[in-house]
Amino acid sequence: MKLKGSYLAAAAATAVVVAFPAFLGAYPLAVARSIMTYMALAISWDMLLRSGQISFGIAGLFGLGSYASALAVLRGGMDPFTSILFASAFAAVMSMLLGLAILRLRAMYFSITTLALMEIFKIVIHNLHDFSGGPEGVVLPEPIFGGSAPALFWLCMAGLFMTIGVSWYFEKSKMHLALTAIRNDETSARSSGVDIFKYLLIAFVITSTLQGMMGAIQVQSYGFTTPDTAFDANFTLLPLAMALLGGIHSTIGPMAGAVLLGVASEWLKLKIPYGHLIVYGFIIILVILFMPQGLVGLARKTIRNGRTGVRHE
Amino acid sequence: MKKALVILVFITMAVSVFAMGDKEGTAAAGSAPATIKIGATWPLGDITGKQGSMAAQQAVDEINAAGGINGHKLELIVIDDELKADKGAAAIEKLVTVDQVDVIIGGMASGVALGQIPAMKKYGKVVVATGAASYKVEEALGADANWYFHLHPWDYNQGQSYADGWAAIQAKYPTIKVGRIFLAYEEGAFGKASFDSSKVLFGNAYTFDGAPFKSAAFGGGDYAAVLDAAKQYKPDLFLWAGYDADALPMLEQAKAMKFNPGIYLGAPPGWPADFGKSPLANNVMLYGMWAPAVNDISPASKKFYTGFVAKYGVEPATYFAPLSYSAVYIVADAIKRAGTTETAALIKALEATSYASPLGQTITFSPANIIKHQGIRNQKILQWQNGRQEVIWPFESATSKPVYPFPAW
Repeated sequence: MKLKGSYLAAAAATAVVVAFPAFLGAYPLAVARSIMTYMALAISWDMLLRSGQISFGIAGLFGLGSYASALAVLRGGMDPFTSILFASAFAAVMSMLLGLAILRLRAMYFSITTLALMEIFKIVIHNLHDFSGGPEGVVLPEPIFGGSAPALFWLCMAGLFMTIGVSWYFEKSKMHLALTAIRNDETSARSSGVDIFKYLLIAFVITSTLQGMMGAIQVQSYGFTTPDTAFDANFTLLPLAMALLGGIHSTIGPMAGAVLLGVASEWLKLKIPYGHLIVYGFIIILVILFMPQGLVGLARKTIRNGRTGVRHE
Repeated sequence: MKKALVILVFITMAVSVFAMGDKEGTAAAGSAPATIKIGATWPLGDITGKQGSMAAQQAVDEINAAGGINGHKLELIVIDDELKADKGAAAIEKLVTVDQVDVIIGGMASGVALGQIPAMKKYGKVVVATGAASYKVEEALGADANWYFHLHPWDYNQGQSYADGWAAIQAKYPTIKVGRIFLAYEEGAFGKASFDSSKVLFGNAYTFDGAPFKSAAFGGGDYAAVLDAAKQYKPDLFLWAGYDADALPMLEQAKAMKFNPGIYLGAPPGWPADFGKSPLANNVMLYGMWAPAVNDISPASKKFYTGFVAKYGVEPATYFAPLSYSAVYIVADAIKRAGTTETAALIKALEATSYASPLGQTITFSPANIIKHQGIRNQKILQWQNGRQEVIWPFESATSKPVYPFPAW
């Protein structure tokens, strides 16, 4: 019964989101697209984090997907939608090759390597001037679907839903047990028969594919990309902040964090045009300092305390 | 079930905030058009956007104080583009669909403009752009964007004006010899585009080379490699294209390395507010469109400058201030002549613009390489002299003679 109710509510939530273009204008849809993009990146980052591996390479894979898609259209003559699939596959192949090399690393060594990879991708794109457009970037003939606001919204939403679906699969399948075991104690996990490298590689490739796909959706939606735009550090830092704010090691946490920070960012900008970024940064610092378990963790704790209180009464 | 409820709560919250925006739009649409709305986007966290928006508000206030336009008051609605393409694009969507502005002005970074162009094309509102120098923006606009009026020179316009400027300066001051030019450029789109266009323009008449550096604005700040390459090259003219954050540290490192070119010249979009107070700044040359010294030769500049300082208590430190001020006056003047904000009539009125701007030059529009409406085509060559930026070229706007060579440390 509990499961059925949960599915019904999720279906209702999905229906509401799908219907957004019916009652929201172009501006809210544009903001929603931005929030959904960061949400997908936050969830995908969290999916790998569930194994204990902290990646700082989100922007690198996002940018890689952006360029793979843009160049597939411009140099390969591919149609925009197929180019998104191509970019996702390209990110998957690249991450598998990289994963074979770097997934032996742990803790900060892995984190620093992923951060360095982001810079390397950017430098390569910078220097392949004739092919990639160099620092000036590339401009597509037009955005996908002629720039139609509802169509762009649904495209971005499809990317997000795919990410949520995969994340929920990670939570419900044996991936969850394997990644949690690796995070808690790698030696115990190995002695229990968990193939650590295999599971880390699967998680790394899948999350990278999702990040590359979101980059491809982004470039096709705006019709241009430059190295500074595609590999912007914000695509690494904001998803991290969102996941930490919402609560890590779950799907719902990064979702909550992305909605809250995304909406807060836009609202603050309109209310405090000169200084909203200071307030925004301040909020992030306060939340991380005083709610290290995130909003979802805080909510869980409150509900647990409430129940305990009821029992005492 | 709890998780799903949480999802529903978040979605409801997000929809409520977005719907509030739509309601504002409905209210605006229902009211009589008593005010003429100008929408603008700038990066408000950057001095160019901050002072640009302040100057635009100054112009709006001056026009309203003088009775408005044909009896209508002007209203300026500014949104921070945060130097991000997606934020800039969302800002255009809000200005057009929620605030229902009549005209759009503003802009600084080319990367943001590229993100905004699809939305601009979709609505076809008149745009008077104060920024975006990259030729990629012109390519993205295409020849059909007759609603787009570009005030800022394109990168190729700027390069051409520098070439013209140095030729004229050498002809007038025979002691100034420029044979070898070295360009240190920040590794991003702005710097690389500067290098590419300068190489084409200077490559034939001068011996030209350059090297990239990572700007302090993006986590760099060590210029030893690029300065060493420049020193080995022995240039007559050392030029750097970066950001305001590079200005002082690069100068300090050049001094530490005893790098003494005949001409030391910077071309950032804005300078640090206190750069002129540094003793190192004396006789550094720069490219720009405006300096307070233009007040000496232009009554429009003096009016702008005096009004800005009186209103805000600070001195304008970037040419984006008088440029944005000019954008408002150009739009207001065109609406006044057209008698309407209807797009076709407004485009026609803007095409007939002849505005004596505070930049010390009259702005008119004529075709560029691709677009039909290009405003300013040149930058000025200036020099820091005793804490003040003096105009060296064009000679008709000059406020001082050049000090040459750049003194040894």
